[in-house]
This record gives sequence, structure tokens and C-alpha cells, in this order.
Amino acid sequence: MADSARRYWYRGRPRESRGPTGLAADVVQAGGPIVSRSIRYHRPRGVFCGEGFCSQCLVRVNGQPNVRSCRYVPADGDRVDTENAWPSVRTDVLGALDFLFPRGIDTVRGFRRPAFARPWYHRVVRRLSGYGQLANAAPTPAPPPLRHTTDVLVVGAGPAGRAVASTLAREGRQVALIDRRAVIAPPPGVLVIDRATAAFLPPPVEEAERPFRLAGIGDRGRGIDLNASTVVLAPGSYDASLWCAGSDRPGVVTAEGALSLRTARGEVPFHRALVVGGGARAAEMLDRFGPRIEGILAPGPISPEVVRRANELDVPMFPRTLLLGVEGRRRARSVRCRARGAASPPFSLEGDAVILAHLRIPHVPLFFQVGARMEWRSEGGAYFPALEPDLATSVPGLWACGEAAGFPDPIGSEASGEAVAERILGRSANLSALPPRVGTQSPGEMEGYYRELFAGPRPGGKWIACACEDVTVEELRTAHDRGFSGIEVVKRYTGLGTGLCQGRYCLPEALAYLSILEGRPIPEVGFITQRPPSEPTPLSAWASLSEEGT
Amino acid sequence: MTGFARPEYRIAIVGGGVIGLWTAVHLARAGAGPIVVVDRGFPSGGASGRNGGGIRQQWETALTVRLARESVAAYRGFGREFGYNIWFRQGGYLFLAESDAEIASLDRVGQAVRAEGLPVRRLAPEQISDLVPALNVTGVRGAAFLHSDGTAYPFPVVWGLYEAARQAGVELAYGTNVTEIGRAAGRVAGLATSRGPLAASIVVNAAGGWSGDVARMAGVPVPNVASRHEILATEPLKPFLDPMVIRLRDGLYFSQTMRGEIVGGLGVHHPPGTRSGMPSSMEFLTRMARAITGLLPSTASLGILRAWSGFYDETPDGLPMLGEDPRLPGFFHANGLGGHGFMLAPAVSRRVARLVLGQPIESAAEFSVARFLGATLPAPAERLTFG
Repeated sequence: MADSARRYWYRGRPRESRGPTGLAADVVQAGGPIVSRSIRYHRPRGVFCGEGFCSQCLVRVNGQPNVRSCRYVPADGDRVDTENAWPSVRTDVLGALDFLFPRGIDTVRGFRRPAFARPWYHRVVRRLSGYGQLANAAPTPAPPPLRHTTDVLVVGAGPAGRAVASTLAREGRQVALIDRRAVIAPPPGVLVIDRATAAFLPPPVEEAERPFRLAGIGDRGRGIDLNASTVVLAPGSYDASLWCAGSDRPGVVTAEGALSLRTARGEVPFHRALVVGGGARAAEMLDRFGPRIEGILAPGPISPEVVRRANELDVPMFPRTLLLGVEGRRRARSVRCRARGAASPPFSLEGDAVILAHLRIPHVPLFFQVGARMEWRSEGGAYFPALEPDLATSVPGLWACGEAAGFPDPIGSEASGEAVAERILGRSANLSALPPRVGTQSPGEMEGYYRELFAGPRPGGKWIACACEDVTVEELRTAHDRGFSGIEVVKRYTGLGTGLCQGRYCLPEALAYLSILEGRPIPEVGFITQRPPSEPTPLSAWASLSEEGT
Repeated sequence: MTGFARPEYRIAIVGGGVIGLWTAVHLARAGAGPIVVVDRGFPSGGASGRNGGGIRQQWETALTVRLARESVAAYRGFGREFGYNIWFRQGGYLFLAESDAEIASLDRVGQAVRAEGLPVRRLAPEQISDLVPALNVTGVRGAAFLHSDGTAYPFPVVWGLYEAARQAGVELAYGTNVTEIGRAAGRVAGLATSRGPLAASIVVNAAGGWSGDVARMAGVPVPNVASRHEILATEPLKPFLDPMVIRLRDGLYFSQTMRGEIVGGLGVHHPPGTRSGMPSSMEFLTRMARAITGLLPSTASLGILRAWSGFYDETPDGLPMLGEDPRLPGFFHANGLGGHGFMLAPAVSRRVARLVLGQPIESAAEFSVARFLGATLPAPAERLTFG
């Protein structure tokens, strides 16, 4: 598979693709950084998350809408087209909306008058919303579902999940391991279900032999139905986004997004990237893209590890720096910044990509779904499951380990997996060997960061808070000014966090912002109940899991 | 937060959803204050923010048709009155029938609706395809369609009412649990709450799915049953579906919102049970996916974006329960709206306000709790209670 070229069509032109490269990397090489247009203002959008979560790289493949090009590997003969733009994503006529309404369009209170114009408003606004057109025809039916019953189910095949699975399998326990990515070198004796999304884990059924049931979607849209007596959640984490003016511009990518942009030939669509972050993930970016990195900007301090590598590569560093805005009309060209602390003059750095590598946020939707108690851990800048010292969650039979449990480094992560395996085997785990979890005592780096950012003058133009629904920071402020408070209410008022990523790339930031506006700590601003499924999963796969007769 | 702005109110409304808020606005504008609204959650946290936004006038009883027709008029004027755009789009409601019995039901409904002057149309399968080309009409025998039915966004309705209530001087106490309903001298006297006590000579029970609990707390049990119903939304698409579609066989309903999402539900039976967390179920997601891809085959690759659930507050005869409880003077019911509290809120809250003010309403006896206090419960009257 690695070497045989696959021929497909992109906007009517033939392309070749090799290896397991996602379609997005290839499309960006072929057509530039603008891959799609946003839902409301038709702003140019490019690959952002590289994980299949966000809404910024959607394309139409073989007549099926809303395909995440970053995760889709083209097959021979595929027909790929852009969506939601005319005549093309580069020059989209409706992009004029963005200029005509520099302060945004008020859909909450606007378009009410005159009454006779209302049907017309409805038609126009409806046409503007939505991404792709309805599919031309039904897709090929989903393959028959995989149904499996196991003793222990482990979600996530990172260091923690693998440690749990392999320890338990060695002791003769029946284990299934599910992961979104391809699992290389599966642990012996473990049933591995890879390239599969764990979509829904309802609360356990009390007194059932196997209280847990997990629905998932596997390769080629296959439905997955797993029953288990014990579940270990080790879903890991993802790269956070960062709010600043223009943060939705093509060229602003998460670290994972940057990695997804490498083609099979090793090409990347940037030459002078600015990396945001001063920790392990930033160091990783220096390792991967060294000569193509133009600068390191960190919201907080820069770790000695990053300093050493940056010095080797002669990359300038800007610790404790505010990103005020990403500039460039249709893609990132430069970044406007200012040193934190005392009032210092802003300055600009040129760069053709901004790689966000400053913070990893735990994947928590499954914890919410299953009803586990959650808590705000300020040093991690996110909600984590509340855990007993032995890593048991508040749900009997459900355990957590790895990054999502608050063990950010791989060694601690693996140790947490081993500890959980020992507890499941009924032994006492050596808990004192575990590193401390991400703390709750000191305020998170980003809380202080946003406090300084929002204390300064607001930039002109739109400042997109939620890129999936094109909600602006200004709209959050309006909701607040009109007396609506708390994240649950503000979410419903503005639509923030209700799009394709279901808030993954805006809620942590929105919580920090509302906490400042409302003058109360983040746990009082609340949290969003993460509703199933954990990410959008096709109706056909769910339908294949239905137990009714046809 | 502790305490209330004043120790004594004339009216305390339990439930800050669409019905409670709208009733409060009517009463405050009529000068009936001081009024306080007490709610255990946050604005739009209950069924007022969990429904599918459907507003239809096709019903089996003339009583409900009238409530609905009045509500359609009120929702058309909502933006002008309350300053929020609720995006009420009159794309019609399409009821699909697959059997003789269902066709007969459509005929019955059609008669009631036409008798109230609404031009509901009967469609043959090929006319259905003209209306919604994407529908797979295999097995569909006929349909009823009323173009002036439609869908709105529930959230801005709550925002508009919330602001109007506040401006009219109503005190809004969200995040406040009612723990007791006080009585004195044979009538209602006030509330004990998690924020402290308050005195009120009138208490209105607009607690939706919790109204049965509130009535029990007041010592006047009612036969309302809270039943959980689930709903889902898909990824947004460009518009292709104008009407709300309902299938009589299984209560499948869906529409496409202004944002392009397909939002819909299905009559999956859940035993009345725990109300904490309001979880979704595997059974609903899989059955709903099968139903929707059967009727709209080209949505099969579309992702389910999120699913949630809420409570229907059902009465034995399917009609709302409005008015003062003869067992406890001063205690008013404004509940029992099944899955249609949002839909009928304008008409219902206007009636409740009139009753509280001691003014007469049409068909007061049919809506009164007294109908449930006899030896036998009335038979179902309004049976078109899904969607």
C-alpha cells in the first residue's frame, strides 16, 4: 500500500496520492491553505486540528457531504470537491459578507423587521447555514456490526491504555482495546479494535453481569457494540486552541494539525512557522520541523528542554508573550504580540504558519456520558474526572488513567496504567510510585494569560470565538451585558460550542473569558454537559446497531 | 445567593420555563405584582430548551387546535413584542400515514382542523415526493399537510421572556429548589426554598416535568406522569427539507433547523424513572438512526452531532391542566402540556394569567384539574400527542 499510487480527482483535476497521507495534506499542496469556507461569514478556513474534530477541512467525496479531509485517505477513483463556496474556496462570492458585516450579523435579535421581509430573510439565512449539500444518493451500506463481549474494555491505546491492556492480558484476563488511530504492534493477547471511535458509553446498568456497553464506529463506518464488566478510560488529550484576533485564519494549526499536513513525500506547506508553547509539545515541534521554525512564542515560561533545542537551531524565543492577533488577509502572514507583564509595546513576527503547541486538553466526553463526577483542575486548564487515590472514578467499575486522568508525561501515564491494572486484578498498587496528578491549587497559566489579554484594547474586526459556528467574542460579551450568565446559558444564547467540534476548541477559552466577565471562578461558571456521541458519527453505523427487526 | 428581594409576594410561580415566564409577564403587565419566579435550574435548562421547536395546528380536538392557532399568531408577533428573533419558519407539518387506521386518523384530524378554518390538505404519495423529493415514500399511503405550521428556535423565546419579565419587575430566582409549599387557613401561603422562605397568596405550578412533584408537595396530588423523551441533531447541511415530517406509525418526527441540522425524535417508551442527568439511550440512537435513514436514505453518511432528552408532562386525557385547584385555594395549575409546552405556551399562559386574575376563560371546565378528581379518569381525548 505504501508505494502504490492512488489516482483521484480534486475539483475535476487528477491527483495522485501515496501512503496513508490524509487527503488534507495533499489538497493543501495542490490548492493552497484555504480548504473550506466558514458557516456564517464564509471566512477562509484551512486545516486546523488534524484529528477529525473541527469543522475547517470539510470536503465532499463521491457525492457525500462533510468529509473530514484530514482523516480521509483517498481511494482510487475518488471524486473530491469543495463545499459551501462559489465559484471556489479561494474566491468565494459570499466571502463578501465578512467585509460587509465587520461587526458580525446579529441573528439573535436582528432580521425581525419588516414583517413582510421575514420569509425572504429565512430563505437567505437558511442558504447561508449548513456546510455541504445533501448527498446525491445513499452511500454504500455500512458493513455488518462488530459485537463483542469482554471482561475488560480499555479505551485508548497510548502508554496508559497499553499498559493496562498488556498487564491484564498477561494475567489471563480477557481484554479489548479500542483506539481512534491505527495501533502498531498490538499488545499480545488483546483484541485490538483500531481506527475506531468510542462514541457512546451510557451509565452502567446496575446488577447486570456486564454493566457497561459501548457503541463505536470503526473503519468504513462499521458499527461496534462492546459489552464489558470493567471499563478503563485512557483516551488521552488533544492540542488546545488559542483565542486571538484572526485565530481562525488558514495557517493557524494545532500541533496535530501541523503533523497531519505532511505528505507522503515529507512536504509541509510552511517554511517559516511560529510555534506557540514552551513545553514538551513545542519541543516535539522543533524536532519534527526544526529548520522550518522561525520563532517560539510561549504564553508562559519556556522549558530548558525547549531552550536547548531552540538554541541549537538558532530559533528566537519569546517567553511570556501575548498573541494579540494573527494577521494576513486570506492566510496567516504575521503575528502581532506583546510581552506579558508591564505595559510594553506590541511587535510583529512574520511567519506563514502558527502552530499551537501550548496546552493539551483531556478527552472527556465519555466520562461525562457515563456519569462520572468531574472536577476543574486549574493547572491543567480543563475539567478532569474526579478520582480516588487508586484512580477509580465515581462510577463503580470505571477507572481512569493516562493524560485524561491528569498524568501528562508518558512515564507517569504508563505508571498510572499499571496501577489501574493492579487494582483491577484485586491487588494493591504501589500508588506512591505515581507522579502527582495535574494540580488544582495554583491558577492555570492560561487563566492569567487571558486576564491580561482581555485587559488590553480589543482589536478591530471580528474575533472568532467558536470557529464551527462563527460566534464572536463580542457576542459572548453581548450575552453577558444583557444579563445572561454561566456557560450553559451563554452557549445556548450564542451557539458557541454547538457546532461540529462540540466545543472542544472553544469551551476552555470561553470558560476563562466568562470567568473574567462574571468575576467568579471557573467552576462557578459551570461546565457543558458533553452529550453523546463523543464526536459526529454516521447515521448508517448507528442504524446497523439497531436490534429491531427490519 | 441567599434570600429574596422582599419577604412577601402576591404571586410565586414555580418553574421558569416558557409557561412560567410568559404567565409572569402577563400578570406583571396587568399590575398583579409583586411576582417571583422560582426555578431549580437555569433559563432554558428544562423542556423549554430541550424541545424540537415544532409548532403545529393539526390536532384531534378542537380545544387543542384553538390553543395552537392562537399560539401560531403569538409566535409570529414574538419578534416585534419581545425583541428576539425566534426564526419562526412556517414550512408546514407533513403527517405520513401507512395504514387504513392511520388514514382514518388523518381524516379525523383533518375534520377537526378544517372545522376551525385551517386549510389542511390531503396528499397522495406522489404529491409528497413533490414536496420533499428526498423522502422515500415506499409504504406511505397518504399524508396531511398544513402550510402554516412550522418550527421556531426555543432559546430566544426564553431570552425574550426572561428580559421582558425582568423589565416588568418580576423577580427571577433561578438555581433555587422549592422544598415545601406552605398552607395557612386552608389556602396556599408561600414557599420554603433552598434560598429561604417567602410568603405568597398565590402559587402557580408551571414546573413542567416536575409539576407532579410540586402538586404532591402542595398536598394536592395529580395524575400527571413525567416521561422521558429523546431527541438528536445531525451535522448541518444546506436546506433540503422544508416541512416538519411526522410518521404516525412510530411517532418519528424531524425537521431541518435554520442552522441546517436535522433535529428529531421518536416515540421510544421509557419507564418513568430517575430524572437525574437526563441521559440518552443506545436504544433511541440506533432506532432513530434506522428510522431516519429509512425515510431519508441520502442522509446515511451524515453524522449524529448530539443527542439529549427532556420530559413530557402528560395528563391522562392529553389536554393541559389549567386553573385553580379546588382542594387548595390559591394554588394554580399551569402544566400537563405533554410534549407541547413550548408549542402551546402563548395561548396557555394567557389563559392561566386570566384565571389567576379571576377572569373567565373559554372551556375552563375541560382544562380544570376537577376532571381528574372524580371516581374514574377521563378517556384520552387528544391522542395526537407526539412530535
